[in-house]
Amino acid sequence: MSENRSFFRDTVERILADTVDKADIDAAEEKRVLPADLHDALIENGITLMLVPEDQGGIGATLGDTAAMLRLIGDAAAPGPILETILGQRLLADAGLDLAEGLLSLVFVDDLANLPRDATHWQQAAAYEVPWAEAVEKILVVARDGDGARLLVSQAADWTITPGVDAAGEPRDTLTAQSLPVTSAALPDYDAVLGMAAILRGAQILGAIEWSFRRTVEHAGERKQFGREIGKFQAVQQMLAELAGHVLASSAITEAAAEGQTSGLVAAARSRLGDAADATITIAHQVHGAIGFSLEYALNSRTRRLMAWRDDYGSVLYWRRALASRFTPLNRETFWFGVSDAGLAA
Amino acid sequence: MTAASLHLELPKLTPEAEALRQDVRAFVAEERSSGRLPPPRRVGLGFDKEMTRRIAQKGWIGLTWPKQYGGQERSALERYVMNEELLAAAVPVGAHWVADRQSGPVLLKFGTDAQREFYLPRIAAGELTFSIGMSEPESGSDLASLKAKAEKVDGGWRLNGRKIWTTNAHHAQYIIVLARTSTVEGSRHAGLSQLIVDMTSPGISISPIVSMANEHDFNEVLFEDVFVPDDALVGKEGNGWNQVSAELAYERSGPERWLSSFRLISELVDVLGADARPSSLEELGRLISHLLSLRQLSMSVASMLQQGQSPNMEASIVKDLGTKFEQEAVRVVRNIVSAEDLTSGGRAERLKALLMHAQQYAPAFTIRGGTNEILRGIIAKGIGLR
Repeated sequence: MSENRSFFRDTVERILADTVDKADIDAAEEKRVLPADLHDALIENGITLMLVPEDQGGIGATLGDTAAMLRLIGDAAAPGPILETILGQRLLADAGLDLAEGLLSLVFVDDLANLPRDATHWQQAAAYEVPWAEAVEKILVVARDGDGARLLVSQAADWTITPGVDAAGEPRDTLTAQSLPVTSAALPDYDAVLGMAAILRGAQILGAIEWSFRRTVEHAGERKQFGREIGKFQAVQQMLAELAGHVLASSAITEAAAEGQTSGLVAAARSRLGDAADATITIAHQVHGAIGFSLEYALNSRTRRLMAWRDDYGSVLYWRRALASRFTPLNRETFWFGVSDAGLAA
Repeated sequence: MTAASLHLELPKLTPEAEALRQDVRAFVAEERSSGRLPPPRRVGLGFDKEMTRRIAQKGWIGLTWPKQYGGQERSALERYVMNEELLAAAVPVGAHWVADRQSGPVLLKFGTDAQREFYLPRIAAGELTFSIGMSEPESGSDLASLKAKAEKVDGGWRLNGRKIWTTNAHHAQYIIVLARTSTVEGSRHAGLSQLIVDMTSPGISISPIVSMANEHDFNEVLFEDVFVPDDALVGKEGNGWNQVSAELAYERSGPERWLSSFRLISELVDVLGADARPSSLEELGRLISHLLSLRQLSMSVASMLQQGQSPNMEASIVKDLGTKFEQEAVRVVRNIVSAEDLTSGGRAERLKALLMHAQQYAPAFTIRGGTNEILRGIIAKGIGLR
């Protein structure tokens, strides 16, 4: 692990330990409020500017560093638009726009209904499932535009917000506006931005999987039935061994994707994480029995986030089709070259 | 290792490893174009002594071993790269696979100087096929219950017993037999020893076992008062269990655990076009994502071996996931062949043959080299549950 990576990890681990507990996670769901201490600390420590290049006022961390950090955020089930702010700041920098002071939300749309490129207002604007719209300063919309992409920057206050929630209970709102003031800029590659969002969300998914696995192994070692720990039963051991395989395989491909940043690896990681998330939800809850089903017990703060996240920034099936489509042009000999040259090793 | 430390470092492939990859690809291309290596119609490792000799001439058997024993002193990651290239091309490597992967490394680690000097250069030259004498008719997953017995006699041991599922015993010059050499009160694992047995020794008889895929790889080998000289004992008398445990880590982590039916997938990709149904692409994409993950995991394990670690739990995870993947591959290919109607009317005839054979062969994936249930027991131990 690089020195930078260790520093970011230590910083974020300390911030998380100091600022997030189960009550904060519950408050995000029940009262739609962010853990303010967490977000203040992330901003103060420059974490939200991780991906912005140094010469543009940021930290210039790699995508791998950022993924390692978001893995911790996912592990802690820390609520809020953290990924959205980090990636949003990077997109603002890439587009040559001013960085934001506060938090950002981010949403992808495939079709802007012929909004002119020089438009200063977006008529009959709409955006769906927008994270934390009431809590952020700006809303960023990334839209496909031919081969490239457009970034539309708007003030959150200019939208009409209809509250909604994701499976974890975090806000995902419907936004509408009659005539929305926007700043518009070009980005070179829609799929590249989607891929960055996908692997960063993948890192959060991995973190939530790892927490669930750890907690479930601990639970199996503590909980006694029939006079012994349930982890002593072969049926339970077999389930947890299967889960260990999912954890190890999905972490191997997710790390490779975050470091290698090839679109094939990102697609593979999100596909593999989809299976790992499914297995985690099933096995972690099965081993926990009724205890894990209560809202009070912390397991659901991770497993419900897995439900919310697994199809974010491209569904599991989207990434599977994308991955397969890279290989179908190959033949019986070149297929292996495609597999081994997928940028898996640096 | 505890659950919290379930983590692998990303492996880095060196320029030397990538250069070796290109060398193996050039070798495969030459073998293909010369007609010595036709695209396969069956899955599995294959057996071809001539191919083994040509691979040996390249220096690719015993690649990591010391030069004094015929090796090349290359890294475990380089060996990994070489093996994945050979396996993905379905080069028949069965004649030296066990000796290269398992028997040689055991002799290197536990053998005497004389054993190393005698066996290793011959293995590296592609002259020797080894078999593994572990399972018995009454001792499958419960290996420590084995009954084969070696009694001390003047100048050696007298071996009696029966070994089964012995791959290539009918081709092998030597078999390393795990047998009981003493009884230790209160321990089933103590008192077992490994002996190198010359397959031409009097008292050995071999009976073929034909598999449900209609192939003769397996055998039952009977040992009746077989004399095994003292210098054929591997390592310490009574230490066989520990030696075998180390050996099984080599057996379990390699790319053959997820590449032995790779050609089935590459044949499918060959005939599948971009116009495939979304559901077919989704199934194929899922399969490829598991393949890429396994490859990453396998490279990480090779890298850990390179650093002198003993990733027994990780190796067990590779085999558990890899063999399940291979069975899943058969299901996925069958579904896509059906959904896309790829093989009716005599089309894609090789794909059809491979699929037929892979279906028949697939039940063995999750049994040979340690059943997945046994592997999961090892994993459970690794994460602290037992």
